[in-house]
Amino acid sequence: MGMTLAFDGFVKTYEGFELGPIDLTVKNEVLSVLGPSGCGKTTLLSTIAGIVSPDAGRVTLNGRDLTGQPPEERGTVLVFQDGALFPHMTARENVAYAAESMKQVEELATTLEIEGILDQRADTLSGGERQRVALARSLATDPAALLLDEPLANLDAPIKRRLRDELRPLLSSLSIPIVYVTHDQHEATAIGDRLAVMEDGTVHQIDTPKEVFAHPATPFVASFTGSINVFQAQVAGTDTSLVLDWNDRQIETPGYGHEVGEDVWFCIRPEYVATTDDSAADEANVLDGNVTRRVFEGDDYLVDIAPDGMDDVIRIKLSPPVYDRLGLADQDRIRVLLAKEAIHVIGDRNGDHESASDEMTTVQSEVQ
Amino acid sequence: MATRSNSTRSRTIPLALDWLTVALGLGGVLCLYYLAPLVSLFLSVPPGELLARMNNPAVVDAATTSVLSASISTVVATVFGLPLAYWLARTDGRWTNAVLAVVVLPLVLPPTVGGIVLLTVFGPGAPIGEAAVAAGFPLTRSLAGVVLAQTFVASPFVVVTAKAAFEGVDRTLEHASRSLGKGRWTTARNVTLPLAMPGILAGVTLTFTRAMGEFGATMIMAYYPRTMPVQIWVAFIELGLDNAYPVAILLLLISVAALATLTTIVSNPWE
Repeated sequence: MGMTLAFDGFVKTYEGFELGPIDLTVKNEVLSVLGPSGCGKTTLLSTIAGIVSPDAGRVTLNGRDLTGQPPEERGTVLVFQDGALFPHMTARENVAYAAESMKQVEELATTLEIEGILDQRADTLSGGERQRVALARSLATDPAALLLDEPLANLDAPIKRRLRDELRPLLSSLSIPIVYVTHDQHEATAIGDRLAVMEDGTVHQIDTPKEVFAHPATPFVASFTGSINVFQAQVAGTDTSLVLDWNDRQIETPGYGHEVGEDVWFCIRPEYVATTDDSAADEANVLDGNVTRRVFEGDDYLVDIAPDGMDDVIRIKLSPPVYDRLGLADQDRIRVLLAKEAIHVIGDRNGDHESASDEMTTVQSEVQ
Repeated sequence: MATRSNSTRSRTIPLALDWLTVALGLGGVLCLYYLAPLVSLFLSVPPGELLARMNNPAVVDAATTSVLSASISTVVATVFGLPLAYWLARTDGRWTNAVLAVVVLPLVLPPTVGGIVLLTVFGPGAPIGEAAVAAGFPLTRSLAGVVLAQTFVASPFVVVTAKAAFEGVDRTLEHASRSLGKGRWTTARNVTLPLAMPGILAGVTLTFTRAMGEFGATMIMAYYPRTMPVQIWVAFIELGLDNAYPVAILLLLISVAALATLTTIVSNPWE
């Protein structure tokens, strides 16, 4: 089917803040828009919905030009952060407000599991219930495109995770263009077919979540998607593989398309940095250092390591069993391996580097 | 048994007047000043005599005129005032402040001046006034005159109060409604108006109460038919203070009823 939401040359200027130019095309898929607060992602949604008018650019939905159309005539439905339920109505009245028939209300109530709360007033519902009702209400209009603005942002972690996992199949089943805005990388990857990363009003990268995480296009994308280890280095050699000079250490990487002497950024996700006993200290990509900080994140431990003779700090992520086995304390000596295949050199050029994400998967299983 | 420091402290406590007590003391004087004359008014007329005088045709006529005219004025003020209040609440810019200043003008204008100003437009000497007289619908010394005077003085209350009520409605809810495919009018009727209703009703009540009590502008625009405030004045001038009491008490009761309505609205669950 030819459902497409397209966005051409969108520009919006606020006092001292410029958004765009942005070009985006969303087919029958869920596009997650990931970015820090204030990056312009909510404005982007509001513009598609017709609540904010752009300074320049065109929005089209299935070929129909939406630019300048009032919100009610666009066929796009915006789901707000806190649901924006009408507080003076019951949950049922909220859904019925948008629905064609009471039968449709009942069906949606079943889908979203809100039958039990239909007769409660909207302002007495919990955060999770409110979002379920808001979703039912939005779907009741049979939208041609669905826009979600941080719908799970203010929910408690367990409810958030549960709703997130239910949302994914529900949104996919709609077969319409869906834009899902969030600042949470887990939500963005769990829900999106594709992922756009935004910062300061511009889109840094659009790709599948896996590809964005494995091969971030900019240092910002790398750090915002959790590749806390983003470092600057210089290309030292390109013979068999791309070798970087990083603080006078040689690092072998799978990078390509760079020239000797070029300054580049490279990154490695903390969960891909391995501790090692059996590699020699002088091997490429093996570093000795001191533990400088340990943070328990609940699911795993983050350990900061200051490699000898460097200003940069490498952060590694360890599962609790591994952490307990190593018995680390501050200032302990530790040897780590930056596996070549787990390193990504930002700004790799030429397109023949396929199956990169498959390599990542292999590396991941090796590390574990 | 108390140590020296303890006794010192216990001695200073009654002396140190706490600020809230002072505030209540000062405010209490003001409250007494409000209440004492009201109580005194009720005590000055025996209930039996009060009821008897209520049947006086002049009193009944004045009450009828007042309730009728104030009701019409309130409807007129609401019909024209609500859209204006909505516009003021949802528009930003230079013009908003200028328009708001115009709306507030009758509030700061002495009512008698308001009456004079109205006479220059609707009076027998002015073109509009003359045309109205020729059409057999005089705008002074008529119910229409009373309504014109009351609307002029009382309508700002509904505009200002409703504006605040509209501003209290989260715009996100309006955006949500329109995003669901509902137009501006449907959105206003189903979302904005119900949510702003307590504030709007408060404004309507204030307007009605103000219209009931309007004297200055009404005196000048329409001495006849007499409204209750005018009747009080006439009774006071011609027959003495005693004769002004019954109508005054009636007006007072209406004000208390209005106050009760307002208080009920304020305790509204979704305000």
